[in-house]
Amino acid sequence: MCCQGCRAAAEWIEQLGLSDYYELRTAPAPRPDTGDTTHDSWQDADSARHVIRDLGADLRETLLLIEGVRCTACVWLIERSLGAAPGVVSVQVNAVARRARVVWQESKITLPQLLQALSRTGYRALPLDAGGLDDLRRGESRDALKRLVVAGFGAMQAMMYATAIYLGAAESLDDSTRNLLRWLGLLVATPVVLYSARPFFTGALRLLKAGRVGMDVPVALAIAAVYAASLIEAVRGVGEVYFDSVSMFVFFLLTGRYLEMRARHHARDLTDALARLTPPFAERALEDGTFTRVGIHQLRVGDRVRVAEGGIVPADGVLLTERCRVDEALLSGESAAVMKRRDDSLIAGSVLEDGPVLMRVERVGADTALAGIAALVGRAHAERPRLQVVGEIAAGRFVARVLILTAITAAGWAIFDPARALPAAIAVLVISCPCAFALAVPAALTRALGAMARRGVLVVKPDGIQALAECTHVLFDKTGTLTEASLSRTDLRTFDGVSHDGALRLAMALARQSRHPVARAIAAAYPDTDAAAVSDVATHAGAGVSATIEGRTLRLGRSDFALAGKQLAREFEDAVLLADDRGPIAAFRITERLRPEACAAIEALQARGMTVLIASGDANSKVAAIAARLNVGTWRARLLPAEKLAWVAELRAAGARVLAVGDGINDAPVLAGADVAIALAEGSELTQASSDMVLKGGRLDAIVYARNIAQRTLAVVRQNQRWALYYNFSAVPLAALGFIPPWLAALGMSLSSFVVILNALRIGRGDATPRDAQPEHSRVEPFPRPTA
Amino acid sequence: MNILLMMIPLSLAFLAGAVWLFFWAVNNGQFDDLDTPALLPLDDAPRRDETPP
Repeated sequence: MCCQGCRAAAEWIEQLGLSDYYELRTAPAPRPDTGDTTHDSWQDADSARHVIRDLGADLRETLLLIEGVRCTACVWLIERSLGAAPGVVSVQVNAVARRARVVWQESKITLPQLLQALSRTGYRALPLDAGGLDDLRRGESRDALKRLVVAGFGAMQAMMYATAIYLGAAESLDDSTRNLLRWLGLLVATPVVLYSARPFFTGALRLLKAGRVGMDVPVALAIAAVYAASLIEAVRGVGEVYFDSVSMFVFFLLTGRYLEMRARHHARDLTDALARLTPPFAERALEDGTFTRVGIHQLRVGDRVRVAEGGIVPADGVLLTERCRVDEALLSGESAAVMKRRDDSLIAGSVLEDGPVLMRVERVGADTALAGIAALVGRAHAERPRLQVVGEIAAGRFVARVLILTAITAAGWAIFDPARALPAAIAVLVISCPCAFALAVPAALTRALGAMARRGVLVVKPDGIQALAECTHVLFDKTGTLTEASLSRTDLRTFDGVSHDGALRLAMALARQSRHPVARAIAAAYPDTDAAAVSDVATHAGAGVSATIEGRTLRLGRSDFALAGKQLAREFEDAVLLADDRGPIAAFRITERLRPEACAAIEALQARGMTVLIASGDANSKVAAIAARLNVGTWRARLLPAEKLAWVAELRAAGARVLAVGDGINDAPVLAGADVAIALAEGSELTQASSDMVLKGGRLDAIVYARNIAQRTLAVVRQNQRWALYYNFSAVPLAALGFIPPWLAALGMSLSSFVVILNALRIGRGDATPRDAQPEHSRVEPFPRPTA
Repeated sequence: MNILLMMIPLSLAFLAGAVWLFFWAVNNGQFDDLDTPALLPLDDAPRRDETPP
């Protein structure tokens, strides 16, 4: 709607109950959900509870997946139409993720009514549910591929026939053959326009209905005008036909859309995997002691549920069985077995290590901790990549101007030479190339994502590419990021006559409970076939692990943590200690090895003018030694996670753009607080999902490469947009004056799009020959697939 | 030029055939996952059964 007046009028019509008119008017667009039945199923409390989040005080929140969102104009329309509904508090739409986050007052409006309001504007919305999302995405991807290929084949054939006409014009082509070629062009271009280009027409209709001009309106208008004009000429048997141009036009635009869709799906993988970690079914206990299989959304608070060994906890709840061991790596990043006792809480998505157990459900669906995390991550992803937004605005503005220019051209020629009005106007439409604008950003982004993935950098948030290109400071975590820990038996000292093996056996049992690199080094130093049984395991971030073994409470970790306040000789201050309540049992000296590429990577970063910093929780002396080896001037030691975060905030306040690199264990807040974060793939799934990029295989030099790619990407996007602008500036006036013959218009349009794609292909070439290609890096599967 | 009368219908038939074949492939899930199949031969472990939806 263009103004408040229109909106008031539309609302008035709606209040009169005449809105069905709009429903009927959109008949050309396929409307799978014209009936109210699909929405009413959400009235059912069972299904609704699965997708609605209670914000308290009458407020409800849901995440809607909206089909058919194309550009900023759609976002605007959805925001307006939903925002106008009574009781809706806020609407946030992301065109790229096609998700809308809606908050409303339950007393004034219900979810079915919201969906109803949305479908009235022509958008089909689904409350987000992992299973539905999958089907929808597969359908969209198959659909897009088919349309793209039909357009591609059609364009090739149309081009072939058109070339014959163009060449025939120079030679002598008799009229009947020429006519035959025209009709053949019509034959192959028709499926392209009617089938492949349909998304543009439905999108344009939707926008027009709202009285708004987005990218789809001029595109659809241009396609329709060129096709119709060519059709008329073909029937009349004179003049020029543009079937090849219109097919190419559709093909290029669809290519851009397809690339964007692929990138969108790619980025979604991580968050979707989070949401999918809960199993779809659960075993509910009945009164008579038997169990029945129910869908997870049928679980209610208070239900008793059985979970099998190796199964996934379906909802948050408390344990009713005596004891069990649970893997909560998803949340804490600490792998392996936390001991739970009766009445301890279990978290949805964690994996049961021994079982079966019985649990009582306390929170279900959107209330679970897992859903909360997924929502947080989803919210972070719901921000549109800035590059894309800027590109869309430019393209939208451009096509609107082209339309005006076309009208002026037609009007001008109508005065001087009416016979040439139509050809000239069509030439303007054909030669002006929004394709170049539309392709500029997605082509470059897709290429960058692919190039980075080949070197082991998985991009979670495309926005990170821009931030990475612009960052000035790199903050490294030390242990596990710059260095790898290792322990040899000679580095061990025991107290009170404990044998080396005895101490190691105890230490290993504790160390196995943590994912920290130091703990892993200790765990690897002793064969785990002879592990001591542990219970009451607790991991303390940044300090160590405590547990009960054979009736003794043991602590393994930093000396101040392990000794719990007792003093020991200074020489052990930076050692890892194993201690019980009586005092120290053993001291480990962990030797740290720099990762082989660390030196080169940091040197390369510094050579590119970046400031490299080290933040570590480790002792002063160790950090200083590492910093000296790496030639890093600024470092801080003995930092807690919160202090690291404060440092990042301090740097950012001083104007720096900070890239944080960490393994995600104990430094998740730092990664979250930086401008752009790269997590090592060894870290927790949660950290990976909330960082911008994930580094596979711990190859630090890939960071340098990724930054080069990011800068190249930004440069290419700017070049592409500038090129599109120059091309159109020079070509459109000529076409308006009638100097451009149809073959040149077709050639110019395709060439300008080709230049954009070829330019994008330069990203990741040259310096990009992967030194040692590791094919498994291209696979996006940072989450272990849960077994159920 | 009479050869055109044979070549053009032939090209159109090829085109229709290609589109039909491609649609068949898409509908049968050949393009749903382009990354994983390439890696399957490298996976020694027997495939686990997927969770039923």
